[in-house]
Amino acid sequence: MVGKSVLVVDDEPIVRESIRDWLEDAGYQVAIAESGEEALEMIEKQDFSVMVLDIRLPGKTGIAVLKEVKGQRPWIKSIIITAYPSAETTSEARKLGAIDYLIKPVVPDDLERLIRETLDSVGREPTVTTEVVIRPKPRVIEAVEVKKDFVMPKENMRTIVESLAKEMEVVGVKSKYGKYVYDRISSFEELCLDYDVTVMPPTKYLLPAKETLLKFQAGDGSKVEPVIEAIPRAIVGVHPYDIKAIELLDEAFMSTNPDPNYIARRQKTIIIGVDCLNPSPKSFAPSMGTNLTETGFDLLLTDIGTDYMVTVGSKKGAELATKHAHLREPTGDDIAKQKAAREEALAKYKLSLDVSKERLPKLLEENYEDSYWESRSATCLSCGSCVMVCPTCFCFDVQDEVALNLKEGERSRYWDGCVLVDFAKVATGENFRHDKASRFRHRIFRKGKYILERYGKVGCVGCGRCATACLADIASPLEAFNAIVESAEAKEAAMRIVREVRAETELYAPRPAELVMVSELTPREKVFEFRFKDGKSLGQRPGQFVEVSVTGIGEAPISVSSSPTKDGTFQLAIRNVGNVTGALHALKKGAIVGIRGPFGNGFPLGALEGKDLLLIAGGIGLFPLRSLVQYVLDKRSSFGKVILLFGARSPAERLFLDELAAWSKNPDIEFHETVDRGDESWKGNVGVITTLIPKVDIDSKKTMTVVVGPPIMYRFVIGELKKKDLADENIIVSLERRMKCGVGKCGHCQINGVYVCQDGPVFTLAQLRNLREAV
Amino acid sequence: MKPKVAFFDFTSCEGCQLDALNLTAEELISLLNAVDIVNFREVMTERADNYDIAFVEGSITRESEIPRLQNIRDRAKVVVALGACACIGGVNCLKNHLPVDAALRIVYGKDARYYDTIPARPIDALIKVDYYVRGCPPITAELLKVVKALLLGKKPEIPNYPVCTECKMAGNICVFERGMTCLGPVIRAGCGAICVTSGRHCWGCRGLVDDPNLDSEKDILQKYGLTVEKVVEKFKIYNTYAEVTK
Repeated sequence: MVGKSVLVVDDEPIVRESIRDWLEDAGYQVAIAESGEEALEMIEKQDFSVMVLDIRLPGKTGIAVLKEVKGQRPWIKSIIITAYPSAETTSEARKLGAIDYLIKPVVPDDLERLIRETLDSVGREPTVTTEVVIRPKPRVIEAVEVKKDFVMPKENMRTIVESLAKEMEVVGVKSKYGKYVYDRISSFEELCLDYDVTVMPPTKYLLPAKETLLKFQAGDGSKVEPVIEAIPRAIVGVHPYDIKAIELLDEAFMSTNPDPNYIARRQKTIIIGVDCLNPSPKSFAPSMGTNLTETGFDLLLTDIGTDYMVTVGSKKGAELATKHAHLREPTGDDIAKQKAAREEALAKYKLSLDVSKERLPKLLEENYEDSYWESRSATCLSCGSCVMVCPTCFCFDVQDEVALNLKEGERSRYWDGCVLVDFAKVATGENFRHDKASRFRHRIFRKGKYILERYGKVGCVGCGRCATACLADIASPLEAFNAIVESAEAKEAAMRIVREVRAETELYAPRPAELVMVSELTPREKVFEFRFKDGKSLGQRPGQFVEVSVTGIGEAPISVSSSPTKDGTFQLAIRNVGNVTGALHALKKGAIVGIRGPFGNGFPLGALEGKDLLLIAGGIGLFPLRSLVQYVLDKRSSFGKVILLFGARSPAERLFLDELAAWSKNPDIEFHETVDRGDESWKGNVGVITTLIPKVDIDSKKTMTVVVGPPIMYRFVIGELKKKDLADENIIVSLERRMKCGVGKCGHCQINGVYVCQDGPVFTLAQLRNLREAV
Repeated sequence: MKPKVAFFDFTSCEGCQLDALNLTAEELISLLNAVDIVNFREVMTERADNYDIAFVEGSITRESEIPRLQNIRDRAKVVVALGACACIGGVNCLKNHLPVDAALRIVYGKDARYYDTIPARPIDALIKVDYYVRGCPPITAELLKVVKALLLGKKPEIPNYPVCTECKMAGNICVFERGMTCLGPVIRAGCGAICVTSGRHCWGCRGLVDDPNLDSEKDILQKYGLTVEKVVEKFKIYNTYAEVTK
C-alpha cells in the first residue's frame, strides 16, 4: 500500500539499512536503493509516498534524482539527508519540492517524526468526488464589477487556484510544524485559508531577503547593468493586516523615487485576500484599523459557511472572477452571515490599544525621554527577529559580491533592520544608535509615528508576529504604546493611494564618470576630480552629496567639494577610512567610477543670499563647506560680509593648503584658522576651533552661520555661537550619517523620522530641536 | 604576482582544511588562477616558507605550538583564523574546565607524564589576527568571500548580528517554538542559519556577536526549561573560552 511506503536512497549500506530497520520497526513499508539510478528504476515501476534521499550520491546526484522524480511522480514527498549541508543545495532541493532536511548522522526520532508529519499532510490528499451538489440558483453573474460583493461556492477556489497555477506561480499559506507559512502551492489541498497568522509575512514576495540590483564588471564604472527580476505570481489567502502592510510598501516604493525592482514585482502580483476569522492571540489588528480592508487586493474572500463572499477589488480581480468563478448576487442572508462572521472574529481579539491610534505620534513624541525605553530594552538581544518578521519593515543593506575571477559581480540588497547593532554605523566607526535603548525606541517610533507621518499609513498593522518571535518578550509595539500614557491630539495623515507609476529603471544604477585628476591633501586624504562620460554636468547644489561606486567593493556617500559654478567637472575630497574610500584612494587618473546623485538638500542658498556669512569648518568638514566657499566667492556680490573659520587637529592635517593661503590674502573674505596642537613650524593660532569664535565681530541680526565638522564639534561650537546671540533659525549644520541608498528607502541614515539623504544632510538648528537623535 | 597562500594546522581535526577545498572543479580552478597555494599539508607535499596569506586552523594547546604560531605571524602579511578552534578556541577548550593534570590523566592514563599540555586557547590569544573565517567547519562561501575581499583589498562584510536574523531570512520556524532551545540569539550569523534550516538548532560554532546579551539569553534558556547546568553546558561546547576561560 502506497500510504505508508518509503524509499530510502543512500550509497552507504549502514545508513540505508539502519534507516530501513528503524522505519520498519515504526510500521512503514520500506524499500532501499543504493544509487540514484536504482531509485529511479524502482520509482518507475512502483509508487511511494515518501523518499528519503542522500543528496551526495555517486553517479546521478540527489538533485538530479529530485528533478526526475518531480517530473515522473510529483506527489512523492522527498526528505533530504546529507552530511554536507550547504545553503545552495538546500535552496535548490527546496525549489525541487524537497520537504525538509536532516543532517547525518540522522537521529531516528527526528526522521520518523518528519515522515509522520509529511504523511499526515499527504493523508489529506483528495479522493475524487463525483457527487454534484444541486441547490437553487440565484441569478448568475455575467459581468463582474470592481468594488462589488458576490457569492461563490467554496469549492470554486480550487478552479481559481488551479487555473492561476497554469499561468503563474501560486503561493499561499501552508501548515508546517503546527505553524503557518507562505510557500509555493503545488496542489490545492495544501492551501490553508483558515489560519491565525503566518510566521513570515507575504511581503517577502515583493521584497525578497536578497535580490540583485545590478550586474557589473568589477572596477569598471561604465559596465553596469540594472537587474530586475520579477515573475507573475498570485498570493492567495492574504489577511487584511498584511494587505495594509503591502499598501504601505506600495507607498514607500512606488511614490517618491519609484523603485524599479519593487514595481516590476508588484505589478505582476495578484493578491487574493481572505478575512481573518481566527486571529492570533498576539494580534491587535482592530486597534490599528487593519482587521478589515476595502482596498489593496484583487479579490477578497469571507468564509460564510458553504460559500465565500467575494469582494472584487480591481480590474484584474474582476477579470479573474469572470473567467474562473461561478458567482451570484448575495442574498440578504449572505450579507447577514458575512456581518456575523466578522463580528464574531472581532470579539476574539484579546488585545487592544488604550488610546486611538491617531494619538500615537504625539504621545510618543512627548515621551521620547521616558525611562521605559532604557528599562524595557535591557533584555533585548538585538537579534533582529522582530524586524525580520515584520510586514511593515523594509529597510535594507546593499553589498557587492564578485566572482572568484574577480571580474564579474553583482550588487545586491539584503534585508536589514534598525535593531541590529551596526545598522547606523558609518565608515569612520561612529555608531549613531549604539545602545539597545535608542535602537528599541527607534523601532517603536517607526511603528507608531515616523511611518505614519511620512507615508500617511500606519507603521504597525497589529499582526502580532514580532511579539511571537521575540524571545525576550519585549517586541510588541502594542505593549510599548500602551505603556506610554499621555493625552494629545494627532493629525490625521492624508491617505494617498498609489497605483499607476512608472519607475526610473536607473534608480540604483550609477552613471560612469572618469577620474580626470587626483591629488594628495594629506597621507589620509585626497581630492578627486571627475567628469561624466556622457559629458553632462553633475548639477549639484553646494552641500549635496553623491553615492560613489567602485563596483566589486561597494558604494559610499561622499559630499561634493566643488561649487557648481566650476563647470563640467566636480571634485570629491575623500578620507581613506573604509572599503570604498580605500579603493578610491588606489585609483589612478583615467579610472571609471560610478556616480549616483546628487542627493540631499544642500545649503539653503536662498536663505543665505543677501546675508553676512559666518562659515565654520572643523577638519574634513571643510570638504563639503568648500563647495559653499567657492560658490560664495564666485557670486561675491550676492552676499554681505563673509567670515571663514577653519580648525585642524595639527599643522600636518591642514587641507587644501593653496586655497587656505589664497583665502588668507583675499580681501573678499575674512579668514581665520587654528590648530588644536601646534608644532615648531606653526606660527599661527593654537587652540580648538571654538577659541576663534569670540575673536570675530558679527551682527547677529544679519548673519547666517554654517557649521560643518565631526559630530563632537557641534555641541561646543553651537554653545559658543549662542553666546553671540544667534537665533537657531540662523545656525545651519550639515550632518554625517550612513547614507546607503540615497533615495529615502534603506533606512540607514534616518534621524528619528527624517531621512538625511532626502531631507538633509543640511539642517537649521531650529529643525534639529525636533530631531533628538541629531547631535 | 599572485598572492602566496599557506595553510597551517594546530590542535584540530583538520576538518576545516579538508572542507576549505571542498569546491566545485570550476571554483577550484578559479581559485588557483587567483592565488598560489604554497603550503597545504592536507592536499600537497611541497612546502614553502614564503607566503603572504596564512590560514591557520586549530587552537593552541601545547607550549611548543606558541613559537611556531609566532613564526607564522612574523612571516605572513595577513593571518586568517580558519574555523572554530582557531577563532574562538572551539571544542578543545572543553578541557579547560579541568586542571591540566587531570585532563592529561584522563586522556593518556599512565602515559600522561610523556605529554605536555596547557589550557587551550584561540590563536588571537597569542597573535594578532587580521580576519576570521568562523564555523565548525566554515561555510565555503564565506571562506571564498574572505579570499575575494583580501584579493580586492576590501574588508569582508561579515555579519555582526545574531543567527536569528538569517534564520528568519531563511523562513525557518523558531527552534524555541518547536520545543527545543538554541544559541542563535547570541551567536554571530553568516552561516545562513544552516543548522536550524536543516532541522536542528544553533550550537554556537561561530562564536558570540560583538556585544551579546548573554544574561538575557540565559534567562530565556531557563524560561524554556533548561537548568543552570544545562545552560552552561550548551555554551561550553564551542564557547568555553569566551565564557569561562577569559
